[in-house]
Amino acid sequence: MSERDDSYSFSIDLPVRNEWKNIDLLRTSVQNCFAAVFSDIDGCHTVSIVTGELLENAMKYGSWKNTDKPVSFRLLVEGDKKTTTVSVDNPITPGDESVDALQTTIAWINQHDSAEEAYRARLLEIASAEDDPGASKLGLVRVAYEGNCTLQAEVIGSTLRVTARLAL
Amino acid sequence: MSVENLSDGDLTIEVGSDDEKAIVCMWKGRSTQRSPGGVLNPYFEQLLTDAAAKELPLEMHFETLEHFNSSTISTLIRLIQNARAKNVPLVMIYDARLKWQRLSFEALRVFDKNDKKFELRTTE
Repeated sequence: MSERDDSYSFSIDLPVRNEWKNIDLLRTSVQNCFAAVFSDIDGCHTVSIVTGELLENAMKYGSWKNTDKPVSFRLLVEGDKKTTTVSVDNPITPGDESVDALQTTIAWINQHDSAEEAYRARLLEIASAEDDPGASKLGLVRVAYEGNCTLQAEVIGSTLRVTARLAL
Repeated sequence: MSVENLSDGDLTIEVGSDDEKAIVCMWKGRSTQRSPGGVLNPYFEQLLTDAAAKELPLEMHFETLEHFNSSTISTLIRLIQNARAKNVPLVMIYDARLKWQRLSFEALRVFDKNDKKFELRTTE
């Protein structure tokens, strides 16, 4: 059995304050970290897009009203030279409708033959909405399409964890 | 009167003209606002009104844009529809060498009806 090559293994694990400006700070930081390790500039930007969209989702749909706990969420980016996993944890409240909506969106993406097909279908849905839809719900579909990755959502106690797995 | 440049957070849109052949908008920086439509939608309305009055097409250049979020994509869909409704030809120009731009803009071809009202172009 060959030894595991850990020379490219990495992990970024951070608690993040839920301030919108932090999303782009983290997105660009992840992009710069990857650029320092890997030569594939497109791949670095892809990971940053996935990170940004998952963080935006957490910020928009997380439950931030419980002031008893520190108002933060968690970003974890880890992998090696072949795969990357981006996970974002955010607080939820029992019976949170946004969790069902998120699970429904992931199931909807998986119903399509490809993420590209799902993405184009979502663009047409947005166009057919009579008014500005506000929350376009395009972020997760974009993650699946542009990141070419699988999505998973799991509830752990009062936390929702959304994970995207990318093949580099 | 021409529409002025836009600056919103890390995003700048510089407006110029191409020898009076088109109204040219250069997107620079990053569009990362939580609700970009709040600023972009009324700005696009001004641009479309100006283009319609001058009977010029509207050219949106994204080649030097570093990043946009999915909410910005939604505002671009609205722009495509409003331009068509106002009969203003709309052209979006992107850098196909950048994977993220290629993927984002190629998907917008679902709105290209071959009627010259909406066109996607790439830079070489």
